[in-house]
Amino acid sequence: MKHMSKLVGTAALAMTLPLVAQGAMVRGAMAQEAMAQEIEVTIPYSVIVNSAADGEVRPDDALTLREAIEVVNGTLPVTELSVAERARVTPASSPVINFSLSGDTTIALAAPLPPIMAAGTLVDGTSQPGYGPVSTTDTMVTPVPTPVVALTVANGAEVPRGLAITADEVTVRGLSFYGFSTRHRSTQTTPPADIFISHLAPPIDAGLPDPPGWKTLRPDDESDAPVGVVVEDNWLGMSPSGQMPSEEQMSALGVFVFNGIDTVIQRNRIEFHEGSGIITGARALGMDVTENTMRTNGVAGIPDGIRLDGNIDGTEIYGNLMCGTDGSGVFMFKPEGSARIYNNDIRFNGRRFRRAAVYLMGSGHEVTENVIQHQPGPGVAIASYPRNEGNIIRDNSFSALDGLSVDLGFNDDTGIQDFQRTDGPNPPRNSPMRRRDTANGAVNAPEFDDYVFPMDGGKTVLSGVADPGATVDIYTVVDRTGYYGALNQYVATVAADDTGSFSVELDAPDGTLVSAIATDEMYGTSEPSAITAVGTLGDGPTSSAMPSCAIAQAPPPEPEPEPEQPPEQVILRIPRNIHFALDKSNITPEAAAIMDGIIAVLQEYPFITVELQGHTDPRASDAYNQALGERRALAARNYLLQQGIAAERMRIRSFGETQRVSSGSGRIDYARDRRTEFIFTDTRGLDIIYENLETDLQIEP
Amino acid sequence: MSTLLVYARVPMMAAVAQVTIPNTVSGAFDDPSDDPDDPNRRRRLAPDGNETTILVEGDTEALLRITKTADKSAAEPGDVVIYRLLVENLSSTNVASPVTVVDNLPRGLEYIENSVNTAPTPPNLTSFTVSGRQLNFQFDSLAAESIMQILYAVTLTPDSVRGSGINVATAVAPGFPSAQAEFRLTIRPGILSDCGTIIGRVFVDKNFDGEQQPGEAGVPNAVIYLDDGNRIITDPDGLFSMANVVSGNRVGVIDLSSLPGYTLAPNLYRLENNSQSRLARLEPGGLVRMNFAVTPTYGEGQN
Repeated sequence: MKHMSKLVGTAALAMTLPLVAQGAMVRGAMAQEAMAQEIEVTIPYSVIVNSAADGEVRPDDALTLREAIEVVNGTLPVTELSVAERARVTPASSPVINFSLSGDTTIALAAPLPPIMAAGTLVDGTSQPGYGPVSTTDTMVTPVPTPVVALTVANGAEVPRGLAITADEVTVRGLSFYGFSTRHRSTQTTPPADIFISHLAPPIDAGLPDPPGWKTLRPDDESDAPVGVVVEDNWLGMSPSGQMPSEEQMSALGVFVFNGIDTVIQRNRIEFHEGSGIITGARALGMDVTENTMRTNGVAGIPDGIRLDGNIDGTEIYGNLMCGTDGSGVFMFKPEGSARIYNNDIRFNGRRFRRAAVYLMGSGHEVTENVIQHQPGPGVAIASYPRNEGNIIRDNSFSALDGLSVDLGFNDDTGIQDFQRTDGPNPPRNSPMRRRDTANGAVNAPEFDDYVFPMDGGKTVLSGVADPGATVDIYTVVDRTGYYGALNQYVATVAADDTGSFSVELDAPDGTLVSAIATDEMYGTSEPSAITAVGTLGDGPTSSAMPSCAIAQAPPPEPEPEPEQPPEQVILRIPRNIHFALDKSNITPEAAAIMDGIIAVLQEYPFITVELQGHTDPRASDAYNQALGERRALAARNYLLQQGIAAERMRIRSFGETQRVSSGSGRIDYARDRRTEFIFTDTRGLDIIYENLETDLQIEP
Repeated sequence: MSTLLVYARVPMMAAVAQVTIPNTVSGAFDDPSDDPDDPNRRRRLAPDGNETTILVEGDTEALLRITKTADKSAAEPGDVVIYRLLVENLSSTNVASPVTVVDNLPRGLEYIENSVNTAPTPPNLTSFTVSGRQLNFQFDSLAAESIMQILYAVTLTPDSVRGSGINVATAVAPGFPSAQAEFRLTIRPGILSDCGTIIGRVFVDKNFDGEQQPGEAGVPNAVIYLDDGNRIITDPDGLFSMANVVSGNRVGVIDLSSLPGYTLAPNLYRLENNSQSRLARLEPGGLVRMNFAVTPTYGEGQN
């Protein structure tokens, strides 16, 4: 399926069509030929942008990016350029947009740029003089130089999309994009994004004159999706400074592959988006997402780092970091086709929604060799509906989960939680119907014959049962909770025989906790078994890590003797909560002042993590207050984010009106109820006095 | 149709007989100037009061009673209901002649031609007229301490669901006080229910036309509120339906807080569908759609 070209697709289609339709096909082919000729008429130019200004297209002394795109697209004849501008345009073998900006290298757009419509265009930010060596301060999966040229939005302007790409083989390289979003208004807009890839970008607003017909806009198999677009070495969602942009300068979504074939997204930094970093729309066939550094995405919108929707057949996601995301690292929503997710580092996600680190829907996906840590939910979850089987989840390393390493949805469970984190351990299959109503065909988890296996001369023989013919992978376990633990270290693989029983010899120290998953060729991978112990049953090891999205680039220095016990008894005074006005979730200056005290503590002690809990007063409905509480917690969290506290250190929850602080019904009681509480965890023995400040109390008139 | 009638004679009291019961009043009090604890304190008597009379019910010589029943207590449009009127002359000597029985049918009930039947004979049915929903029966005479029954059938028209189902029968004879009886028939709407059905779907729109095409997946567990307060949740395919909705102008609103990460998708072709609510005109027994298109969002939690 990979690298399928559209022409091959068309040819295959023509062969399978009955003769009656052939006539239409021939006409279609002729039309395509005519179009191809038209495109050949457009002479490819190499254009050098030498002005960071943006404005009307007119012959003047400098060439802007807008003019460059129009020249490359062939919509602006070279003859209409001024002499100075014409000097920047030279015929080339393929269209190229280079940059040679002097002075300010930030291009502030006043209006959306025209889409890139010329096939093979290269938009090359690395051509800017000064595009230089790899930054040493910014950690990335694959370090790339800091972009020099930045695309953003002019003050007060509204530009929904940075670049819209509708042509094949377009490459965007070495640029910074941020601030591309739309304001919410009475009529919502079509999705904004830093880079939007589709056969035809939908108009941003409803009610504009002459919208394209719904069939033209429809991103179906007949649409002329761009093939082979490459987005590489860019910084999306932030300026070259690498700092979190202010709320007005945050981008909505990163790369929106709305309708693209064989799209490549590699070596980008994708951070600080209100929605997903990478999101697919209707078709993202054969997409490659690799070596991207994706942090702190989904902070105020669709919460998942990579969201896969539509037809994603042949998509591969490998070698990326996904950290500090509000939802899942990778979340699939009813996709068609299957994808492979491997070699990724997925940690500290689920800051706002307790979702699985990787949430799968559909059949035939592979999740292998990932490191999945610190998720307030299961590691990999698979929905029971739509019906699915054949999802392979092997050779991953899990730790610090709040749920199973692999959680299969059971018995057609389709509640709200089931579409975020599914439902915990399943009972063994008790009816052939389970094959249909449970994820991965209800493949049974292995079951060990005993809770503890005795050691015999340093060796231990584990035995148990699984589905007949299944392959059983044995892992050592960390972070035991009850009968289950995170599958941490792969140990051995053994095949179950015709009766399903298996037996494996293990060379493990006393007290090792072990769990297993079974993989059936047809049905896929099971949930983990309950743990068993070698020698003696204990609590086993727990994993701990600094809440950090940083990447260890060099081998980490010898672990310095960590001050396990605080050197001197420090007594901290930290405010515990901030307050809000009636039915409001905005941060007042008084509340901001209180939070600045919290920020100082968090910055001084980088190991402290904090849970932000939103509360409301008891008026209005439960559901409304639940949502209001969430907005309050989110507002406080996003303020801390803006002040430089890392997303991976904060989690948010809403309690709605369920946990009031007061029992009365006066205005002051209600004002005290309307709050966000800060719950500090992992304080490592620090002596903390929590203060209930009320300087920001807002009493309704 | 055979009818078994069991009737027990109960002594009856007339409504307006007058019996005089003499009643006089008298009073006494202790002299207030004496010590109240003194057993020999003086007592003063008031003079006797005048005589009063009160009215009580007594036996009578002229009394009719009418009882109304039907063969079913609940019916739907299209059903046939058989009413039975029992008229009794309770007096021991007076003959009621002639007896007129008037029955006012509730709205939407129609007398079935030639269905009236009386028993026993005599008394003879001298005239029977139907004027609109009013039935008039006239009998020559009803002997003292005797009964008669009138049976007739009605059919329920679709209009009956708009009526109360209550009808009142009255029996009148010269020299007798008139007697009334009431019967309530519960009318169910049946297949002619004026409720309708609302169906709809919540899905991720990819060409912003507000209609679900292949590849536009339905969103599970989305919440829709109706104007009557009903809360509906979509199924795993993003579909919902609601039966027995009262007809009229119905409004449904999608609760976007049930869809974190999504907001209403713009509709490039029908401006009306850019609203978070849908107004549907639901005909009696009709079916309307309320579709909601959504799209991934950003900028949440800002108010």
